[in-house]
Amino acid sequence: MTTAETSREQKIAYPIHRAGRVFATKLASREAIVTCLLLLPAVLFLTGGFVFPLIKLFTLSLESEGGTLSAYREIIGSEVFRAVFVQTLILAVTVTVISVLLAYPAAYLLSRLKDGWLTLAIYCVLVPFWISVLVRTFSWMLLLERNGPVNSTLMWLGVTDQPLKLLFNDLAVHLGMIHVLLPYAVLPIYASLLKLDPRLLQASNGLGASGLQTFLRVTLPLTAAGVAAGATFVFLLSLGFYITPMLLGGFHNLTVAMLIDNFVNERLVWPLAAAASFILLFIILVILAVAARFLSIGQMLVTR
Amino acid sequence: MMNRRTLIKSGTALGAAAILPAGFGATAIAQPSRPFTFCSWGGALQEMEKTAFIEPFFAERGMRFAEDSPTNYAKIKAQVEAGNVEWDLVCVGGQWMYQAKDQNLAEPMDYSVIRNDDLADDWKAEFGVFTSTGATVVAYNTDAFPEGREPKSWADFWNVEEFPGPRSLYSRMHYNYEAALRAAGVPADEIYPVTEEKVRLMFQKMEEIKPHVAVWWSSGAQAPQLLSTGEVAIAMAWNGRILDAQREDAPVAMTLKDGIAWGNAFIIPKGSPYKDLAMELINYAISEEAQDRLIPMGIYAPVLEKSAGKATPDQAGQMITHPDNIKDAVIFNDEQSAIYLDRYEAEWQEFQLKR
Repeated sequence: MTTAETSREQKIAYPIHRAGRVFATKLASREAIVTCLLLLPAVLFLTGGFVFPLIKLFTLSLESEGGTLSAYREIIGSEVFRAVFVQTLILAVTVTVISVLLAYPAAYLLSRLKDGWLTLAIYCVLVPFWISVLVRTFSWMLLLERNGPVNSTLMWLGVTDQPLKLLFNDLAVHLGMIHVLLPYAVLPIYASLLKLDPRLLQASNGLGASGLQTFLRVTLPLTAAGVAAGATFVFLLSLGFYITPMLLGGFHNLTVAMLIDNFVNERLVWPLAAAASFILLFIILVILAVAARFLSIGQMLVTR
Repeated sequence: MMNRRTLIKSGTALGAAAILPAGFGATAIAQPSRPFTFCSWGGALQEMEKTAFIEPFFAERGMRFAEDSPTNYAKIKAQVEAGNVEWDLVCVGGQWMYQAKDQNLAEPMDYSVIRNDDLADDWKAEFGVFTSTGATVVAYNTDAFPEGREPKSWADFWNVEEFPGPRSLYSRMHYNYEAALRAAGVPADEIYPVTEEKVRLMFQKMEEIKPHVAVWWSSGAQAPQLLSTGEVAIAMAWNGRILDAQREDAPVAMTLKDGIAWGNAFIIPKGSPYKDLAMELINYAISEEAQDRLIPMGIYAPVLEKSAGKATPDQAGQMITHPDNIKDAVIFNDEQSAIYLDRYEAEWQEFQLKR
């Protein structure tokens, strides 16, 4: 963000004058050094705290008793493990789609609100965001249990005469995950809606487009980057979800993260855990690469 | 967190090693900056172990000790492999002694120090000693099954006609193997050795009960909680957790008939600087004095027969080691369970994934 801001400043401050441009070049090189120095702590931290452990994890994934690549072969060759990967991907996709569908109208409303109402609405989005995932997951357990408030309300209303099984299934997992991940979709979409020039909407209206046409042909295309950013955040985060499917899910709601936990904590086969992590990382990188072809990730982040 | 601590600790260890001359007595080197640390599963079990074994042992010596929880096998492996052991005595599930042996993660027991000859050999193993016993039992909600109509066996657990209601089982394969075979009518003394035929029978019984299992729990505290809120009517549970819930007046009960008896084992992670002290502590934990303390607590039963014999009839009724209870019980075989866990884990996960 620092570089983007400085370059924008330069563009504004030194547009035409030659002398100014020379000065700007000098300033830019000094700025570059400052930028590098500012980045240094983060780079050092990431190298020590992320890149180095990642390399260690990779070498661990090659240390299987059965040979260098046997951990990868075991995971890819196993029908069960492949099924867990597919199941995790499907869960991530459905959670992403529903989150974005719910987030767009919310973000749209946010972009229309003013003053006190806006503050209130923003807090409604942010406050749950600040509460621990564990607390929110437990709250869902209390709400959805057999004798919980949701079931007793449904029975009181006469919707059902027997408590419904709301917990420990796909429904509960989706509810819990979407609840946690929704702000990640709302915020980038909201940011992209704020950047939308209202005059474009007036122009569209003036040219005789209906509200729906304006939305589909002006608003939506211009906020697509925000939608893509939100969707990417939600998707990537849901691929690694552990606590929520573990507590709210049924026996079959096994995710890759839970599989890795089983390898690490129960079976103590760490090369398998490392290999599973790298396969997941590889899938994420492929998805990001594909996504990056259609949208600029950098721009998405600045949009926030 | 682990990394940071490991870094600091390995730094001090390195420093200590540099200062001390080579060939210095082992006990002299074993004076790390941290106190002796005991790790267990938390809850009623750890409280019991602390009160009965750990506190009196250290009080007598005027020494400090620290506690940690819950036991985590991956952490033991990480500590041992990093050469930086932070837990000196760990309470583990018995089958883990065999995993630890395979992966070279535990100190072999020194039976010249642990020398209580009154303790039956069944409780002494190469890499650990059992210090208390409990059981995996059929537990139920007392509102769902009033007195006289309660389930009394694994066969009843599988009998959804006579004992209706949602069920809950442990999410891993062990104990399910034993329970399913008992439900299929296999006599308690024929559960082991594990054979392909018995494993097939187990999966068949598991498929049969699966549609009725509302929750597959993964932590011991879940079963009494699910039962007391009425989420499930019958559950597989650790008996100590049920006794604990009953003390809080939760509407739960259990039967020790047809229980699967197991032990809580103490092991010493390989490379513990307090290894010798830990051996002495294990020796103390199986002493009559220490074992006697388990009886009034009524959570898990003593392993020492002499101590178990001192229980009142009421207390004894709650113990899996009581003759009336143990005669129908399956004695959980840790070595055999390590075998099926190793061979059939993938198939169990396949069973888990099927909707």
